[in-house]
Amino acid sequence: MNNKAYPTWFAGGALLLYGVFVLVPAVLGLGFSFTDWSAYSTDIHWVGLDNFAAIFDPNSNYLSAIQNTVLFTVATIALKTVIALGLAILLTSGVKKLSYLFRALIFLPAVLPILIVGVIFQSVLNPDTGLLNSTLRLIGLGGLAQQWLTDVSIALWSVIGVDTWRGVGYIMVILIAGLQSIPRDYYEAASIDGASGRQTFWHITLPLLMPVLLVTTVLNLLYGLRVFDMVFVLTNGGPGFATQTVYTTIFQDFSLGRYGTATALSSLFFVVMLVLSFFVIRVMRPRHEG
Amino acid sequence: MNKSIRGALGFIAISALVVGCSSTATSAPTTSGGSTSAAPTKENVTIEVMASQDWIKPSEQTLATKFEAQTGIHIDFQITPSAQYFNVLTTKLQSGQGVDLFLGQAGVSDMKLTYNAPANAVDLSNESWAKSIDPLVAAQSTVDGKLYGAEVWDVIGANYWAITYNKAIFAKYNLTVPTTFAEFETVCATLLQNGITPIYEPISDGWHQVLWFPSIGAQMNALEPGLYDKLNANQATFADDASANTAMTQLNDLYQKGYFGKSALSAKEADTSKQMASGQYAMTMSEISRGTQIAAAFPTFKATDFGYFPEPLLDNQLQPVHPAGPTWMISNKSSHVAEAKEWLDFMTSPANIQWLIDNTPDFETLPFTGAKAKWDASQQAYFDTYKAATVPVLQDGVNYVNPQWGLMGTDMVAMFTGKATPLKVLQLIDAERTLEAKAAKDTNWP
Repeated sequence: MNNKAYPTWFAGGALLLYGVFVLVPAVLGLGFSFTDWSAYSTDIHWVGLDNFAAIFDPNSNYLSAIQNTVLFTVATIALKTVIALGLAILLTSGVKKLSYLFRALIFLPAVLPILIVGVIFQSVLNPDTGLLNSTLRLIGLGGLAQQWLTDVSIALWSVIGVDTWRGVGYIMVILIAGLQSIPRDYYEAASIDGASGRQTFWHITLPLLMPVLLVTTVLNLLYGLRVFDMVFVLTNGGPGFATQTVYTTIFQDFSLGRYGTATALSSLFFVVMLVLSFFVIRVMRPRHEG
Repeated sequence: MNKSIRGALGFIAISALVVGCSSTATSAPTTSGGSTSAAPTKENVTIEVMASQDWIKPSEQTLATKFEAQTGIHIDFQITPSAQYFNVLTTKLQSGQGVDLFLGQAGVSDMKLTYNAPANAVDLSNESWAKSIDPLVAAQSTVDGKLYGAEVWDVIGANYWAITYNKAIFAKYNLTVPTTFAEFETVCATLLQNGITPIYEPISDGWHQVLWFPSIGAQMNALEPGLYDKLNANQATFADDASANTAMTQLNDLYQKGYFGKSALSAKEADTSKQMASGQYAMTMSEISRGTQIAAAFPTFKATDFGYFPEPLLDNQLQPVHPAGPTWMISNKSSHVAEAKEWLDFMTSPANIQWLIDNTPDFETLPFTGAKAKWDASQQAYFDTYKAATVPVLQDGVNYVNPQWGLMGTDMVAMFTGKATPLKVLQLIDAERTLEAKAAKDTNWP
């Protein structure tokens, strides 16, 4: 018996739109990544793998952009997950009074436009007049004051820090939902058996929260690999190339009219994202659909 | 009649009332410059102008308000931070998203490569104002004999980039105006020893630090006659040129010795007047209208409290000649070409050109026939002391330099932060020139 509510052709409209606006541009982009397409000429020539060779040229800045993207992704996953988990536990089983207010305050940065966050933190992290360095100097820790956004060895970490500040509330909310779905019976049983807080965390909370943690990790992973706006507003990829990521580089190449290399890099990451998206779908699909 | 129908009718009635009231308000006659003008005829037309930060002066915005009062055409200025302007603009142009008017840096290479003016802009050769622009300046907005831009920019006061210095600080430490790079470094060292940061260099905008290199082009050409021609003919490279290497190394030395200050990488060009007025900095690489700008913003100063001397890399003593500045172009995808032309016509009328000169601290003159300049004693002393170069700055005289301005800025920051050598920066400039020349099918790059 056919249990479908609608006939298959009903999906035609959506498939057509998806095909025209997603699939066709993606395939065209893949094709253009093998050409010398640029804004400077109307002629387009086949150049084989030249654009990909340029991306993986050890002397180019593309590799450092890829390296920065990976570092950003790994660091933000780790920081957001650890901090958000700590806050989620604190606000579900530690702090009772005004916990909703604290949750709202921690979540607030997630709803701020990134442009606003960028403007605020450019000011906060200004080495001379910024709030951070001024506070450090005020409390006698002037030695810790840094050129947060302009020191090549620190700038990327500053961007990571600001992004963590903005994103931790969002992850925390998901983890709170996960924590609240764990039956209280387990904790009561553990308490009767005399389990310590640490044992309860390692043997009850963490294993039962693992599916949720997997989801947040995958979300952070996809976000991290696609990061653009936070870098763009805070450092614009600088100083020098110190904070360039894959997507700021693609944007730069497009705006310089180097469509060939830009499409090559975006095609490369399209494939990476496709594989990761497949992974996301596998992870998020409920087991019984198997 | 049920509740929802009554509600809908009520909403329509209120909306009609509001629309009716607002129509009455906007159609009221306006006055401009003390006289009653004709009633605006194009009330619902808004033309969008895209420009980089600092390119649109407050006086031009005032002029736009007067224009609206006369014609009803509203001008919406979309200002983008300078570090991102070229990326945003070129992305818009290349993706076919037109604004009505956009400003771009004039220059033959840029008009072709960065803006692709023949494909993106309207031919303005036959406009009434076209013949009143200084021919040297008009040439910078011209491609294949067609004029695509109106350069309403002071190509002397705002384009002659030189070292502005605080005369009082120089007098306090018995410093004299340097004539060589060695003397310049001695001045910087003395100032630094006395707790004064020698040079305010705003690097965070991404473009300012670049000025130091192309602005010295005429001196490079003087040291090696014919260098510009060789570079354009692909018979020379910056990396192989001794003077280019020296200039880039000297610039790097200024940064490494701390003469730009500890916060140069986060310093902003928009703060230049404020910082120079603070007395914490003694010099800055700036337009020769900087004194006027400081005096306008900080009335305790007179414009002549500041003096000017040529950028001293390579022992330079020449005034730079730089006829290319921001130029107004009309997008050929605009649906308001006629209105945009009307604005350019209005702005470039002799009376408004003079009004702009008289009301813009950054402008001492404008390159239009009949414009009266307002040079002060410091500026006149600069003109009297130093000879003007016989060739323009690099970005106007050598192809494929200006379109890579932002990249050069990034490469130079990499050099300042120890990630690239001066030679490497020059090699990157050469590589980018080759890329652009080949893409443009320049026959000198087979």
